[in-house]
Amino acid sequence: MAELLEAPAAEAPNVASATAGPEARLPGLLLAAVAVIATCGLIYELIAGTLASYLLGDSVTQFSTIIGAYLFAMGIGSWLSKFLEGSLLRWFIRLEILVGIVGGCMAPLLFVSFEYVASFRLLLYTLVGLTGILVGLEIPLLMRILEHRYPFKDLVARVFTFDYVGALLASLIFPLVLVPQLGLIRTSLVFGALNLAVAAVVLARFPETRPYRRRFGVGIAAALLGLAVLFGFANKLLAYTETLAFQDQVIYSKSTPYQRIVLTRNPRELRLFLNGNLQFSSADEYRYHEALVHPLMQALPQARRVLVMGGGDGLAVRELLKYPRLTSIKLVDLDAGMTELFQHNELLLALNKGSLNDPKVQVINADAYQWIRQDTTRYDAIIVDFPDPGNYSIGKLYSAAFYTALVKRLAPGGRLVVQSTSPFLARQSFWCVAHTLAAVGLHTIPYHLYVPSFGEWGFVLAGPDTHWRGDISPLPTGLRYITPATIHDMLRFPPDMSEVPTEVNQLNNQVLVRYFEEDWGPYVH
Amino acid sequence: MTFYFLSSVPNAMPTRRSFLAQSGAALTGALLLPALPGCAPTNPLAHITGRLLGQDAVTGHLLRDPSRIPAPTQTIENEVLIIGGGVAGLSARRWLHRHGQTDTLLVELAPATGGNASAGRNAASAYPWGAHYLPVPDVRNTELLEFLQAAGTLTGYAPDGRPIYNDYHLCHDPEERLNIEGHWQEGLVPSLGLSAADQAQVARFFKLAETLKTAVGRDGRDVFRIPLDQSSADEEYRRLDEIPFAAYLDREGFTAPALRWYLDYACRDDYGATATQVSAWAGLHYFASRKGQAHNATSSDVLTWPEGNHFLVENLRRQASAPILTQTLAYDLRETATGIEALVYSVATRQSTRVRARQVLLATPQHIAHRLLANIPNHRLPPPGSLHHAPWLIANLTVAGLPQGPGRPLSWDNVRYGSASLGYINATQQSLKQDDGSSKVITLYWPLTDEAPGPARRRAYQTSYAEWLPRVVAELETYHPGVTPYLQQADLWVWGHGMVAPTPDLLWGAGRAAAMQPVRGRMFFAHTDFSGISIFEEGFYQGIRAAREMLGDERNPLSS
Repeated sequence: MAELLEAPAAEAPNVASATAGPEARLPGLLLAAVAVIATCGLIYELIAGTLASYLLGDSVTQFSTIIGAYLFAMGIGSWLSKFLEGSLLRWFIRLEILVGIVGGCMAPLLFVSFEYVASFRLLLYTLVGLTGILVGLEIPLLMRILEHRYPFKDLVARVFTFDYVGALLASLIFPLVLVPQLGLIRTSLVFGALNLAVAAVVLARFPETRPYRRRFGVGIAAALLGLAVLFGFANKLLAYTETLAFQDQVIYSKSTPYQRIVLTRNPRELRLFLNGNLQFSSADEYRYHEALVHPLMQALPQARRVLVMGGGDGLAVRELLKYPRLTSIKLVDLDAGMTELFQHNELLLALNKGSLNDPKVQVINADAYQWIRQDTTRYDAIIVDFPDPGNYSIGKLYSAAFYTALVKRLAPGGRLVVQSTSPFLARQSFWCVAHTLAAVGLHTIPYHLYVPSFGEWGFVLAGPDTHWRGDISPLPTGLRYITPATIHDMLRFPPDMSEVPTEVNQLNNQVLVRYFEEDWGPYVH
Repeated sequence: MTFYFLSSVPNAMPTRRSFLAQSGAALTGALLLPALPGCAPTNPLAHITGRLLGQDAVTGHLLRDPSRIPAPTQTIENEVLIIGGGVAGLSARRWLHRHGQTDTLLVELAPATGGNASAGRNAASAYPWGAHYLPVPDVRNTELLEFLQAAGTLTGYAPDGRPIYNDYHLCHDPEERLNIEGHWQEGLVPSLGLSAADQAQVARFFKLAETLKTAVGRDGRDVFRIPLDQSSADEEYRRLDEIPFAAYLDREGFTAPALRWYLDYACRDDYGATATQVSAWAGLHYFASRKGQAHNATSSDVLTWPEGNHFLVENLRRQASAPILTQTLAYDLRETATGIEALVYSVATRQSTRVRARQVLLATPQHIAHRLLANIPNHRLPPPGSLHHAPWLIANLTVAGLPQGPGRPLSWDNVRYGSASLGYINATQQSLKQDDGSSKVITLYWPLTDEAPGPARRRAYQTSYAEWLPRVVAELETYHPGVTPYLQQADLWVWGHGMVAPTPDLLWGAGRAAAMQPVRGRMFFAHTDFSGISIFEEGFYQGIRAAREMLGDERNPLSS
């Protein structure tokens, strides 16, 4: 592996020795350049294909469309090469600088813009097309430079030999060395630098470049410096080491003041992690969110105003928007990093149907506890979807005092629902949430369902009375999990998760955090 | 909605961002260093801002030489003059106001009332400069409950009669943790690494404390009560006041080092004195007097606020409307035919005023009261220096993070086994915000008990900020190795007379009861120095007792 790692580096001294001799040896230098640029060209193609399948999933489709688009763009480049006139060597150096910059920045640019760009595919194929065109120009241009130095049959044989040798090299070192050792971003940057190096060597060795040597030299140095800076920041762009901590490929990660957001994907699903804890899997999140929202909405056929606390992924809001009668949905999530991601990223917009951008929806980035104490509106329904009570900070959002503050914001007859962790894996915790809601004077209706990614999961519906039935009003069409019959089933607790006595969670005892540690302890150690 | 893994608890660790910022600063420093040849090694504390605060000792010491104060230029008259705006003085003022005596003037030397319950505030949080909590009170202390209800701390009563306290004022969990050799355990009673025999001693001590909590003397009164003057007069128990706590513990076979450390810690915490310095009665009172009950809390729970007991003194102040003159020093008292004539000096205007009052309440420490009584014969105050008052250092430290070892997360009270200071409290404990890695304020308490109070006080007054700071930082480093770069601000406060210590014979010897006796119906006294134990409840009841004496109300809560 180590030898393989050194292979691309060993290329450079060969180039140097080839150019050390008299001018007659310069064509040899250009042939060596063919091997380098061929390696670079194929690496860019592989990076684009890998990135597309990481970020967009479905690797077969992504790889074949990327390769197709790239080869087609190379064809355009080859055709365009005939329009290049004048000093061909000068054009070649220009081209190498451009390939170095565009190819080198491709991976970092795609990773960074994944979050912000509305149409990620457009940017991806633009970059692939641009790189392909530039790479497609290289070989025809080099052949024209070399056409008077070799007989045609030799020229074709030599150029294509070096081209294919470079391609073999690239296809071997990419999966074996580059991706595991450097990661995609750094690989992209290193090969961008190699293209720039080719430009630099040609510039230095060919006497006819003298008139513009200084100007181009400065350009190359600046571009190299830019790539080096990006290389230094590669860890910030994507904590590559995280890919080791997650089972699947990390496609996005960001540290906000509150948490570390990580998105991973495999061929089947997209997963969101906050501080390493799974928040949802695209494969079965509909079960969770339908169960969170529809039983509550069933009970409130007159509801107009809804408050969602937490749930910055917009998936609960997606379910709420299935009720056209709602006039206002407020979502209060602590982390702007979350809500912005789910308001702008193409993949995630596909998942939440753009719910957070709906005109009925108001997104507020604020601390839930502080916000609710200052709010003056009353809501027909409140949906509480916070992370599990794993620390004392979050534990406060499950306290009797917090629920008291929530109740003050409920309109007469209003109800709320609270995600209450797993009644099977964290039985005491689940019932502690139910008992705490009861302690502030609410009537509670606990229920649960099976979410394959999580296991058994539970919620507590709470309101001024128990006059709630799962079939009061019709359910929206198109639900995949919730039916009147499933609602009925969710209410039954088998003996292994039936009610257990617990204390009430208060700010001054935080028993829930302690239960949660006890409950989860056996699964952690 | 999440799978939660305990291993990922971010235990109050510095945030990645702040760490990067600091490493960045360090790197920049390292890069700049070679460019500054001849520069001394950089001071590792140079990034810490802050200053030394404290009582206005200079003005206070004018009392020793009143001839330097200008003569009075005006005269005013009040029924009652209260000298001293600490808990006792404010409590008396409030009581007088509520019982019809509104013609009251209170003078206070400091820029604000509150005494040792004062507080500060910066961008990160409010924080206490002294007393900072109140245990859930005994339900029999109806005057105190009434006050807390008016302050919004007690919100009502459950059907069974037990008070309901404001959830935001009850100290939030987690409450206490103790660092033993780098590991943080829950609670302050050492339990990590104790032998079975030592554990048995700890258990025996707490069983004794439980027994004493419910013990009743032959006169039918509780053996230990707050306020302490309501405790039983039974000689069997009062004799415990004659011996030092440490001697009592030796006698009873409580010798385990961990237990003795804890008990000594408790004495230093509540009294600013060691177990060898306070009486056994006082040492046991600490554990056997907290009998609070509440619908939503237990007797071990406490009420606390970011600004500490400043919350309580501000409420005491607001529950009366009589005028208050701050930055005003009373420096001369004389009896007249109709009452008392007091001279007071305003530091702000540099003018003196003659105050004619029918009654004067001295709500000051005893040594100050004694000086003010220079021209008033036949009082029974002990001479200055009779009471044991240790000096205290309080440090409010603004930190960007607290790198910590394994164990329990940041709690309200954080103590290290064997540490010189008493540890720190987290002033942001009651914050409801999710932790966003922003700065916190922690308040370090340090009674200076290594030498006798007099020399310790002189040394403390002579110590500069530049000398204190490295000591404070070194102390915090023993709690959180590597914390220095995270320290942003360190403000320090030296209390010359932090609090009275209940040394043997102080509480139940004859002197204390005699000292608080009014002088000819004109001079009255209220201060925790007259209790011998410096806690909020004692100051509060001292004020009420004195106010009732002034009103001629014989229903004295302290001798009921």
